[in-house]
This record gives sequence, structure tokens and C-alpha cells, in this order.
Amino acid sequence: MAVITTVQAINEALGLMMAEDQRVYCLGEDIGKMGGDFGVTRGLFDEFGGERVRDTPLSEAAIVGAAVGSAMVGMRPVAEIMFADFIGTCYDQIVNNAAKVHYMFDGQFKAPIVLRTACGGGFGGGPHHSQQVEGWFMNVPGLVIVAPASPYDAKGLMITSIEDDNPILFLEHKALYRQKGEVPEGKYTVPLRQAKVVRPGKDVTVVTCMKSVHDALAAAQELEADGVSVEVIDLRTLRPWDHQTVLESVARTGRAVVVNEAPKTGGLGADISAVISEEAFSYLKAPVARICGFDTPIPFSLPLEKLILPDKDRVKQGILKVLGK
Amino acid sequence: MPEISSDQYLALFRDMWRVRKFEQALEREFKRGKVPGMLHIGLGQEATLSAIAHTLRKEDGIFPDHRCHGLLFLKGTPGKQIMAELFGRATGICSGKGGSLHSADASVNNFGDNGVQGSYMVTALGVALGWKMQGKNSLAAVVVGDGTAGRGEWHESMNLASVWKAPVLFVCVNNGYAISTSVGASHATEDLVDFAKAYKIPAIQVDGNDILAAYQATQEAAAHIRAGKGPYFVEYKTWRWQGMFSGEFRPAEEVKYFKEEHEPITMAKADLHKKGIASLEQLDAIEKEVEAEIEGWVAYAQESPMPDPAKATANVYVGWEVESWQS
Ligand SMILES: Cc1ncc(C[n+]2csc(CCOP(=O)(O)OP(=O)(O)O)c2C)c(N)n1
Ligand SMILES: [Mg+2]
Repeated sequence: MAVITTVQAINEALGLMMAEDQRVYCLGEDIGKMGGDFGVTRGLFDEFGGERVRDTPLSEAAIVGAAVGSAMVGMRPVAEIMFADFIGTCYDQIVNNAAKVHYMFDGQFKAPIVLRTACGGGFGGGPHHSQQVEGWFMNVPGLVIVAPASPYDAKGLMITSIEDDNPILFLEHKALYRQKGEVPEGKYTVPLRQAKVVRPGKDVTVVTCMKSVHDALAAAQELEADGVSVEVIDLRTLRPWDHQTVLESVARTGRAVVVNEAPKTGGLGADISAVISEEAFSYLKAPVARICGFDTPIPFSLPLEKLILPDKDRVKQGILKVLGK
Repeated sequence: MPEISSDQYLALFRDMWRVRKFEQALEREFKRGKVPGMLHIGLGQEATLSAIAHTLRKEDGIFPDHRCHGLLFLKGTPGKQIMAELFGRATGICSGKGGSLHSADASVNNFGDNGVQGSYMVTALGVALGWKMQGKNSLAAVVVGDGTAGRGEWHESMNLASVWKAPVLFVCVNNGYAISTSVGASHATEDLVDFAKAYKIPAIQVDGNDILAAYQATQEAAAHIRAGKGPYFVEYKTWRWQGMFSGEFRPAEEVKYFKEEHEPITMAKADLHKKGIASLEQLDAIEKEVEAEIEGWVAYAQESPMPDPAKATANVYVGWEVESWQS
């Protein structure tokens, strides 16, 4: 099996789907000849031309709106918002159109768009190029949020997302773009709304996504030496997230740590923690712990940024806390 | 532009009456508390709606705004289903889930309105782009209010429609005001065609209370788009009868001018009569016929059942039910 980066994995998925299905096309800023800021669409312009790999100006509302409108008449657009932080400029289009056309017109239209965007901090991007935005969208029925943590899942989830009939916000963590992993050639799918136990364990369940999956795995590895067995769950779909896998795990381990890079208040972590408390309270041997970003904007200076974002050491602390150690 | 036939002129006239009677009936029922929510009506703008409706073909798309109830049925949806939707009934075109601001009918390419005024101006761009990429010869018409023309979406849409030569027909209903703010006081120009010209989109400004002028301008615009030449912008100068919250805030002479001297149905009626196309009796008979038709729709809506409670959680996602923990 080929070992490729997440960028290459998503690129393969796009190329495959565009070759297979004429309805699939890409649009966004500088995605054409240049291949996008991170190279995810590199080569597609040469292969498929400017009609299907469409450069736009900085018109985020029009990028999403054009995607939604064309999807309503049968196209399968994959739109790129260069950085997730910019998504406020097209928030209304996502929340009030993409996510609602199917419902408000009672099933007459659907909006099968994939909206790709680069998110996440840890590299000095500062307040407007670093954020995790899933929390901004947790309260939006009709929207699906997908967030891979490995090249394998990135390719499979992108293919599934393009084929799915719902509007999908596809979060690509910048820290994972250059990460490599084994990826099969050709087409395969990874199911939506299904979390994955990426490391089985007995004592504590860590529920997380994207870059934090790797922090959790590293923490689990270190704690193994101390005789602590940690189960790590990668959610993969953040909305609607897979309650069943999480609750089954917590019922076994009796302890849960939720790790999320976004600010702690009102985010994905809050929802997961609430559901565990509601549905698995009797199994819990300790209160659920949340290891999240601080409730601050993201500062530019690297040591400051490191302070506010969760990392392996804070995940370890969280695990030890629920173990009463 | 050739003269239109007598039959065509009479059809335009009849549809102006259908819009008027529909809106009057709707307003009456709203005041009686039978129509829930908010209501904006298109009284005074009947000529613009009739002109648009008679230009669009079934395969063309329409994005109607909040004063375009008339377009909803003129596009081809049975009027009783539109009325029932506005009453929030099970028999409504969206099963009562959309209402006045969200009545779409996919079968006639009506893509519905947005309660967030004007957001759909980029959706229309997308529909036009999709059809163009599919090699279809349909156009997407989008209604733009003068106040709503301040939305960034309008400018983004015009710019990209121009760049992509997308078949978008921008039909701007300039009735002089947003809720209360006059167009000249809130835009760099009170002639919104100026913006279109800056985006290199062919544009025309026309008296929107003159049905023939409005119709012919719209026809020319559509012909341009159908010839594959890209978007077109039509600005109708018109006037709405009531202020948004019913109170009148506009100068008395302005109200008098538009309601009495420059009123679209009265003008069309006089012209039809003068040209010998129909007698006054025949023209009055049209009004009566239309009234009976519309009252039939009101009765249908009123007699229709409320939606099945299961509809509340239906069609949130395509292919998945909302799970119990989500509802
Ligand atoms: C984005 C947004 N802003 C404000 C409103 C509230 N609102 C509804 S109609 C309206 C005025 C619209 O003016 P115009 O576009 O000229 O249309 P008209 O009502 O005059 O036909 C406003 C401010 C809204 N619904 N959506
Ligand atoms: Mg206005």
C-alpha cells in the first residue's frame, strides 16, 4: 500500500470522483493552476480544466451559494474555504441555506455539497488562521461535520462525503496535512456518523478528533508504561456524532476524558460530556473531564499559543485526574 | 420589440388582477388571524410580477422575494397549494413547513425565498452555473429589492455572473424604500442599474407600473440571456401600496400619485380600452372572475388540515431520520 500524506489522500479522492462523475466539480480561491494554499487540488486543473476546477475571487458567500444552487439542480460541488476562520463570511449561506433547503421545502430540494476548509492551530497562525470551528456549527440541524484524523480516513471520508446527499462541512486540520499513512489506491469509502476505536483500552475512554487523536494516542502510549490502559475514540463525524460507540466504551471503562482543541465553553466537548452524563451516569466512576482549548482567542506568539491549546501532556493530566491519580 | 397580441395583453392584465386579489385576500385573512407569522405583500407591484411571470418558461428558475406571492402561482403551482402553504396547512406546497417566506416548488423550478433577505442571490448564481455546466438553456431569475441590493451577496453574485457569463436574470423591484429608508439615502446611487453597468452586465431601467414597458424590457433581457450572452439586469421603478408595518410614512402627494394617477391596473385598463382591445364591461368581468378564483383558494386553505406532527422532524437530513436523542 502506498504511504502518502493527507493532502495527497484528499487530492486522490477528488481526482477519482471527478473522473468518475461529471457532476463533481471544485470551486474556491486559487484552487486552479496553483492547487490551493495547501496543494489539495494540485494537478486537478490540468486534468479537468478551468470549468471544473473553478477559481473564484474572495467571495465566500458566492462560493457557498454557487455550490448550494448548483447542487440543488444536480451538481456535486466541492467548495473550498481557504481557512476555516473565514467561514463567518459565508455563515448564513451554510446555516440558513445549505443546511435548511431540504427541510424548509419539505424534501423537494437537497444540497449535496462538500465544503472543505483548513482548520486548527499550533503553528503561529494567530487569531484568524488557527481556529477550530465545529463549535460554531454544532447547533445547526441538517448540517454534517466530518473531520478525519488520518490519510486513510481523509480519502475514504471525502469519497463518502461527495457521494452523500447531505451538506457536509469537511474539516482538514493543518497539522495533519503533511502527516503520512497507508492509503489504498482506487476507490473505497469510510462511513459517516461512525466513530472509530483507534486504540482499545480498559481503564479510561478518551473521546476526541483530528489532531487531538494523535495527542491522545501519544498520551496513551506513555501511560501504558505506568499500567494504565487507555481507549481512544476518533469521532470522525462530529455532527451528528456517534453516541453509541462512545457510550458503549464508557460503559466498559467507567471513565471518560473529552479532548477538543476548540474553546471549552459551548463546544463539541460540552455536548459529548453532557450526553455521557445523561446516558451513562450510572457507569461513571468519576466525573467526565474535558481537556479543551482555553476560552480565549488564539494568540500569535508560539509559547502563548502552546499554553492555550490542549497537547499530549494535558491529555495525560486529564486521564490521571479521572483515575484519581 | 414587436407589439404584443391582444390576447397576450389581456393575459398580462388578468394576471395583474390575480396578484392583486390574491394579496388583498391574504391581507384580509392575515388581519383576521388566519395567516400566521409575518406578511409582506406586493400590492402596487402587480405589473412587475406579471411581466416576470410571462417571460419565464417552465424550465427557467425563479427566486421570488417576500412580496412575490403572485409569482408563486403564476410560475405554475396551483394557487390553492400556495394559499394553503401561507396558511401553514398540510396541503401547502411545502407541507406548511415554509410559509410566506419559503414557498418553493421544484416541479416548476421555483427555488423559494429566503427570510434572510437576499441570501439567495448567490444561490441563483449557483443554479445558473449548474444549468450552464449541464448544457441546459434555462435561466435563473432572482428578484432583488432596492434595500436588499445593499447585501454583499448581490455584488458577489453580479460580479461572478458577469465573469462566468452565467444565465442569471436579475429583476430588481425598486419601490423606492427598504422598510422606511429611501433608496437614494442608503445607496451610492438611487438608480441601481448603475451598479450593474459597473459589473459589465447589460442593464435597463423601466417604469415598473407600465405593464407593456415592464414586459418588453423583461423579454429583451431574457432573449439576451437565452442567446448565451450571460446575465442581464432589469430595474423596475415601482411603488408598494403599504408601508411595511401598515402605517403610511411617505408624502401624501407621492401616495396619491402612485395609488391614483400612476396605478398599474388602472393604467392598463384605460390603455386596453383606448386601444379597443376590450370593453370596460369585459375588463370588469375579468376582475370578478379572478376574485371568485382566489376566494376558492382561500376556502381550500381554510378547510385543509394542519400538518401531521411527524412532519416536524421529517426531511432534516436526506436519507436519515433525526434520531430520538436529537429531537
Ligand atoms: C438580511 C436581512 N436583513 C434585514 C431583514 C429585515 N427586513 C425585511 S424586509 C426589509 C426591507 C427590504 O427592502 P427592499 O429590499 O427594498 O424590499 P421591499 O420590502 O421594499 O419590497 C428588511 C430590512 C431581513 N429579513 N433580512
Ligand atoms: Mg424596497
